[in-house]
Amino acid sequence: MRLRTDLKAGLLLALGFATVTAAPAEDKKLPAPWEERAITAPLDRADFSGMLTREKLDELTSIGEHLFGAHFTPLDGVGRPMATQAIIPTKRRRETRLSFQRMAGMDAASCASCHNMPVAGGAGDFVANVFVSEGFSNADFDSIDPQFSNERNTNHLFGAGLIELLAREMTVDLQAIREEAARQARAGGGTVTLPLETKGVSFGSITVEADGMVDLSGLDGVDTDLVIRPFSQKGVMTSLRQFTVNALNQHHGMQSTERFGARWTGEADYDEDGKGDEISPGDVSAMVAWQATLEPPFATIPDDEAWRTASANGDKIFDSIGCSSCHIRALPLSSLEFADPGPVDAAGTLRGDEDGAAAVYDLGLYEWAARLERNEAGQAMVPLFGDLKRHRIADQKVAILGNELLAQRFVDRDVFMTGELWGIADTGPYGHRGDLTTLDDVIRAHGGEGSQSARAYEALAETDRSALIAFLKTLVIDR
Amino acid sequence: MNRSPFKIFLTLPVLLLAGPLAASGDEPTLEARHVAMDVPAMVEEALRAGIDHSYVGPWEFFVGGGAAGLDCNGDRKTDLFIAGGKNPAGLYVNRSATGGELKFEKVDTGLDDTVMTNVTGAYPIDLDNDGHKDLVVLRVGRNAILKGGPGCTFTNASRQFAFDGGREWTTAFAATFEAGATFPTLAFGNYVDRSAPGSPWGTCHDNDFFRSQTQETDSAPDYSLRTALSPGYCALSMLFTDWDRSGKADLRFTNDRQYYRGGEEQLWKMDPDRPPRLYRSSEGWRHVTIWGMGIAEADLNADGYPEYALTSMGDTKLQTLDEDAEEGRPVYRDVAFEKGATAQRPYVGEAIRPSTGWHAEFDDFNNDGNLDLFIAKGNVEQMPDFASFDPDNLLLGTFDGKFVEAGDLAGVDKPTKGRGAVVADFNNDGMLDLLVVNRGGPASLFRNTGGRAPDGGAARQMGNWLEIELKQKGANQDAIGARVSVKSGNETRVRTIAVGGGHASGRLGFVHVGLGVAERAQIRVQWPDGEWSAPYRVFANQFVRIDRDAPQARYWLPE
Repeated sequence: MRLRTDLKAGLLLALGFATVTAAPAEDKKLPAPWEERAITAPLDRADFSGMLTREKLDELTSIGEHLFGAHFTPLDGVGRPMATQAIIPTKRRRETRLSFQRMAGMDAASCASCHNMPVAGGAGDFVANVFVSEGFSNADFDSIDPQFSNERNTNHLFGAGLIELLAREMTVDLQAIREEAARQARAGGGTVTLPLETKGVSFGSITVEADGMVDLSGLDGVDTDLVIRPFSQKGVMTSLRQFTVNALNQHHGMQSTERFGARWTGEADYDEDGKGDEISPGDVSAMVAWQATLEPPFATIPDDEAWRTASANGDKIFDSIGCSSCHIRALPLSSLEFADPGPVDAAGTLRGDEDGAAAVYDLGLYEWAARLERNEAGQAMVPLFGDLKRHRIADQKVAILGNELLAQRFVDRDVFMTGELWGIADTGPYGHRGDLTTLDDVIRAHGGEGSQSARAYEALAETDRSALIAFLKTLVIDR
Repeated sequence: MNRSPFKIFLTLPVLLLAGPLAASGDEPTLEARHVAMDVPAMVEEALRAGIDHSYVGPWEFFVGGGAAGLDCNGDRKTDLFIAGGKNPAGLYVNRSATGGELKFEKVDTGLDDTVMTNVTGAYPIDLDNDGHKDLVVLRVGRNAILKGGPGCTFTNASRQFAFDGGREWTTAFAATFEAGATFPTLAFGNYVDRSAPGSPWGTCHDNDFFRSQTQETDSAPDYSLRTALSPGYCALSMLFTDWDRSGKADLRFTNDRQYYRGGEEQLWKMDPDRPPRLYRSSEGWRHVTIWGMGIAEADLNADGYPEYALTSMGDTKLQTLDEDAEEGRPVYRDVAFEKGATAQRPYVGEAIRPSTGWHAEFDDFNNDGNLDLFIAKGNVEQMPDFASFDPDNLLLGTFDGKFVEAGDLAGVDKPTKGRGAVVADFNNDGMLDLLVVNRGGPASLFRNTGGRAPDGGAARQMGNWLEIELKQKGANQDAIGARVSVKSGNETRVRTIAVGGGHASGRLGFVHVGLGVAERAQIRVQWPDGEWSAPYRVFANQFVRIDRDAPQARYWLPE
């Protein structure tokens, strides 16, 4: 695996054995090995625009990998003494006493500090939990009282590019259905209701009146603008780019120009740490490219015959008790071409061809792409074990996964996006808070829409429950 | 606290732009001016869009020159009724494709010259609560109420509504639905009484005030009883405004000192079932005399107390309620200078003679979340002491609560004599376009094509936005007087639905709110009767419809 060596280096970084990562020697934009900084000069997006070759893409992802693993320092722009972690640029009322703290952040020097299991880009242990809070008006939290924040475990990023591409295609489908409903309603002079279904996943229905007015009450598991936001436990992040811009500010105090720069705040140094324009659009692009091109997890076939036998049985049980109704094994993807910036981000995350330097790269250039099965239509089947849909996952009887107090970005406290199971063997602990140590625990924790399957699991014989676990343990991240 | 050298750098241009800019003769560049936020690239395309319309006429038409923006055929596009002075007024139906170039079709109203000529301005309002927007037409001579019907049809309903349009020279209008009223209360501002001895000096008409004599829902409004608001001081703009958060609107006038004697700006106190009465100096009202031409209202800091831009010859005023004013006392102070909004003279060219301001309107033209201020400018006719080349202003709101001139960067600095204006998203792309009615020349129609690219390339997408339509059943269906509060993160943006103000021009329709980088927002509506709605959660870049008491907002899809 091409990335393995560098990723190990990244992991070493996360563990504090080095200050800077092993940089691609050929790239002069990277700092000297002894420099206590990650960035020397902003990356020019114009150098990486248009359809990228594999060579150019490798150059870009190597920089992204460096940035993902690097420990940012004040020379790069670490610190946001006068800005909160909010996704909308928000000033603090007063300078914080603690530049680093776990609740409101900053809480990490490096992306890989948390995304490191089993390797950089991966998930995180409980110790790497983050605290999701809007931070708009009062950032000086000093408790973990859930009225201020929701505690979340770190997700892995393997296959994230494919996830985003799926979400984009599903968004196009859903919005096209909405447009078709409007067209039919206007043409027929009456109200039209159409099912909202894409890639075999139902998102309820949409109703449009003859004058173009949309009734949103039939939607299920998707935002009212019909944008599939595939990232975060809650399913509220549109793109890797948006996620990256948000996280850089929250966790590191590294403010990207495209969100916190003068265009949107009037100040180049919005966080008032003495460093302006800390992360350029080009640097964000490099980080996006590295994440987007991470190899997806593929199920492994165990060498151990007993495991192989149990897994085969568990594979069937996975379907028979209804797990696969939400944890859909694979969703079809029509195109592997990844555009950056993406098509559905809003202002504050670089959009479309906003700077005239949009890049497109074909994930099919990677060797791993050949391992994706194809359906009859020639679409790549992305084995994510998910549906990119939000579900209510707790009820009065089983409320373990509804343990948050705050809704987040219009999504109720007990509603979450179906967790993709690919790689789950290597990404424990489980649950949104990372406080469930076994797969058995997290299966039993399903309530709400997952309740029927969970109760069926509980009713299985011990050997069958074990078989299901054996199957899930084949869903590994390639080391 | 100012820890950063960058902050100093970026606030500098605001200071520079408070004064006039030296004319360079070169195309102005964003870099040279250090304008950090998006500058909307406004492309003038009136003739191409099918609007060839001039406001002309003798002295009586040195003022006025307004337009009404309204949806007269139910397609939710803003149509236009434009005053022509001695030329007939024109009705232009919006045929623009969503996001495309602007297209209007001039249609024959079938109305005769007693209505369509000598028009100074117009305002839209649904007077009779039938769901069709009507037009109140201001004229030199008899004013008229045009009752709207399906498909942009209008009939003169003055007689049906027992409205005697008078014979005055009318230049201002405002309307409000008073508490419990089925029909709106109307106020007309009049200018010089040309028949009075000594005219024009010191001979301003009284103003007119009408409450419907019936409030029965199954009857038509009855405006048979006129109440004179005296003294009149040659009003050029007026606005019902809830200036003190009392839940009740009072009537604000701006008056032209050119012709009055002993006059001043006015605020009339509105009490139910009683004639309006003037606020007195003993109640805190300060004596201010300006060449008042237009009023724009906005709650710039979302504190519930609106600010007012008052256009004039020379300095524009930007009034804010004095923070030391006792409750109920309308004590205002002018913050135009400290906010960079005086716009006292042309910002391009060498001339240092003062400007003449007319229509004013706060709106967010670049969708950065900050309100901008548009001011139509233009010499009265040939007044030698005032600038002859007097370009319209587009003062962009900055992130530190000030304004910076960008009219030339945006492309609205035309050699015209601006008067009234309509700011609306004519092609439903989320960006505000602009109609400017010019005296003695063709109207200008600017299409907002997006943020001017720093490198001079194609315009780029600007910030996020919402457009919000309110609807309630029964009376006052368009919720005139409602406040719309849009909260994203720590920012709250407030808009008020009003009929009045500007310069002889008004608009009803979607309320536009720029959101900057917020991708979602929570909307609360304070309906005209004071009741607050539940919060509505919406995503950015949507047309939103909120029906009173509906559990959920709906979105509207442009065709």
